[in-house]
Amino acid sequence: MPNLKGIKPREVWRQLTWTWKPASEREAGDSVVRNLLLHWFPAKVSLGSLSFRYSFWLGTISALLFLVLCLTGVVLMFLYVPSVERAYQSVKDIEFVVSFGWFLRGLHRLAAHLMVAAVFLHMVRVFLTAAYKNGAGAGQNRPLNWIVGVVLLLATLLLSFTGYLLPWDQLAFWAITVGTNIASAAPLVGQKIRFLLLGGNEIEQSALLRFYVLHCFFLPALVLFLFAWHMWRVRKDGGLACVDQLALGHKAEKTPPVRTKTYSLLGLTKGRTVHVETALADEDKYTVHAMPHLTRRLLLVTLATLVVLFALTMVVTAPLEEPANPRVTPNPAKAPWYFLWLQELVTISTINIGGLTINGALIGGIIVPGVLVVLLAIWPYVDNTGAATTGVWFAAARRKQNIVFLVVVAVVLALMVVGTFLRGPYWDFYWPWEQWPQIPKHF
Amino acid sequence: MKSTRLLRKPEGGEKGAAGGVSRRGWLDRIGLGSLAASVVGTAYALVRSLVPNVLYEQPLRFKAGPPDRFPEGATFLEEQRVFIFRQQNTYHAISAVCTHLGCTVKMVSLSQPKTVTIGGRQVQERHEFQCPCHGSKYHGDGTNYAGPAPQPLTWHRLEVSPEDGSLMVDLGSSVNRDFRLTV
Repeated sequence: MPNLKGIKPREVWRQLTWTWKPASEREAGDSVVRNLLLHWFPAKVSLGSLSFRYSFWLGTISALLFLVLCLTGVVLMFLYVPSVERAYQSVKDIEFVVSFGWFLRGLHRLAAHLMVAAVFLHMVRVFLTAAYKNGAGAGQNRPLNWIVGVVLLLATLLLSFTGYLLPWDQLAFWAITVGTNIASAAPLVGQKIRFLLLGGNEIEQSALLRFYVLHCFFLPALVLFLFAWHMWRVRKDGGLACVDQLALGHKAEKTPPVRTKTYSLLGLTKGRTVHVETALADEDKYTVHAMPHLTRRLLLVTLATLVVLFALTMVVTAPLEEPANPRVTPNPAKAPWYFLWLQELVTISTINIGGLTINGALIGGIIVPGVLVVLLAIWPYVDNTGAATTGVWFAAARRKQNIVFLVVVAVVLALMVVGTFLRGPYWDFYWPWEQWPQIPKHF
Repeated sequence: MKSTRLLRKPEGGEKGAAGGVSRRGWLDRIGLGSLAASVVGTAYALVRSLVPNVLYEQPLRFKAGPPDRFPEGATFLEEQRVFIFRQQNTYHAISAVCTHLGCTVKMVSLSQPKTVTIGGRQVQERHEFQCPCHGSKYHGDGTNYAGPAPQPLTWHRLEVSPEDGSLMVDLGSSVNRDFRLTV
C-alpha cells in the first residue's frame, strides 16, 4: 500500500491538467508535446497566422463543422432506417417524434450546407493569398496540399450529395435522378458508373443502401484521412503561408539566420525547416506560445461556429416533402443549391454542330466542371509568380489570375442564384415578384 | 550527407553468382508478388460483388391490358413512364423519359391546334411535351424543338400478346416514328 499521506488533491488535479493551463513558458512548450489533443500544434505560432484577418479561420471552421456532422450523424444512424419502405417514415419520426430529433436533423443538415460553403470559401481564401505556393522553407510541398484540399472539396460535395437522397422524399429522389443522369452522360464509362452507383438501372433499394454506406462510412473515412494528411502537410510546410512572408522579409532585412541542428520528432533529418531558423522562431515580437494563444482562439472560433449553427437551426426548418414518387416529377425539380450552377449549365449548354447534337449533360455536367477541377488542381504549377507573393492577399503580381478566378467564382455564384430563386415550372425564368402559373401536379 | 544502410545486402550484392537474381532477391519477388496478387484479387472480388447479377426491377417488357381499355388519344402509364396513343384501331407508344436527364415529361394540351413543321412536313398538333426539370420541349410526336434535350423522345415497340390479346409494351426497344400497331 503506497503512502497516500501528504498528497494534496489540488496537486493531483494539477498533475492531471497542467498541459491545459501551463504556468511557465517551459510548461507551455512541454504541453503541446505531452498532450495528445494538442500534439499537432507547434510550440510557437506567428502572430500573423493567428490573426482572423489573414485566414478567417475557414479551414478550422470546416473541420469543426465536420466534427459536428460526425457527432450528429452517428446519433442519426441509430434512428434512421435505410430501406425504401421505412426511410421516409423514420426521417419523419426523427423530425416529429424523437426528442430533439428535429434539432439533430436540423443541425446535421445546416452543418452540411455550411461546410460546403466554408470549404469553398477556404479554397477562395487560399487562392487569393497564393497560399498554395512554396515560400522560404526547405522541404515544402504546398502544391500537393492544395491538391489534397481540392479532393477534400470534392469529397465534401459528394458527402452532401449522398446525404441528400436519404430522406427519400420527392426533393431527394429527383435531385438524385438528375445528378446520376449527369454522371451517365460521361463518355464510355458514364452508364457503367451510374449502374454501379445505383446498383441497378433505377433509383431503388440498392441505390438507397449504396448512398447510405457511402455517406456514413466510405466518404467520412476518406475525408478523415485526407484531413489528417492536410494538417500534417500544413505542419511540414511550416504553418500558414503568411509565415513565409515573415521569413522572407526577415532574410531581406537581416543577416542570414543561424543554422542549427534540429532534432524533430521524426528523428534526425536533413535540410532546414522554417522552424529551424532560430533567429526568427525565437523572436518574441513575431511569435507566441501555441498554448494558450492558439487554443484560446480555437475555442473562440468553436464557440462562434456553434452559436451561428445553433441559432440557424432554431430558425430554419429542414424541409421534408412528400415521399419519393418515381412517377411524378415535381415541377420545377431542382438539384441541391451547390449543384444548381451545374443544373443551369446543363440546361443551357446543349449544342448542335452540323447536325450532331451534344447533350448539355456532357458539356455542362461533365466537361465544364471537369476542366474547372483539373485547372484548380494544376494551378500551383501554372502560377509562375515568385515566392514573394506567397501568403499575400491580392498580390499585385497575381492581379490577372485573381481577377479571372474571382470572375469564375462570381459566374458560379450567379448561376446558383438564378437556379435557386429565378427558375419556375418547366425551368422558365421568373422574377421573384412574378407569380408562378398554377400547374396540375398529375397528368 | 552520409546515409546509414538499413538492410545488410547479401554477400556478393543483389546479383547471384551467375549474374542472375540472387536467392534472396528471388524470394523477395515471390513474397511481394503473392502479396500483391492476393490484395488485387481480393479487391477485384470486393468490387465485383457490388455489380449486381440479378436486378429486382420491373421487367422492361410488360402487358398494359386489353387494347380496348385505352380511350382515343393519349393514356399515361405512370408506373412505366410511357404514353400509349390510340387512333381508332392503331396504337403507338412514346416514352415519357426526357432524353436530357431522365425526368418525366408532362403532356401539355394546347388550347388551340398549332401547325408545326417536323422534318419538312406540316403537321397540326393538339398537344406537346414539356420537361419540368430543365425546360425541354417536344412536339406531339416526340421531336425535340426547344431546351437542352439532345434527341427526340423514344418510341417503343407495341405488340399484341399471343396469350390473351393484351397490348404489350417493350421499354427496352426503340422503333421509328412511323411505327403503328394495328389491332
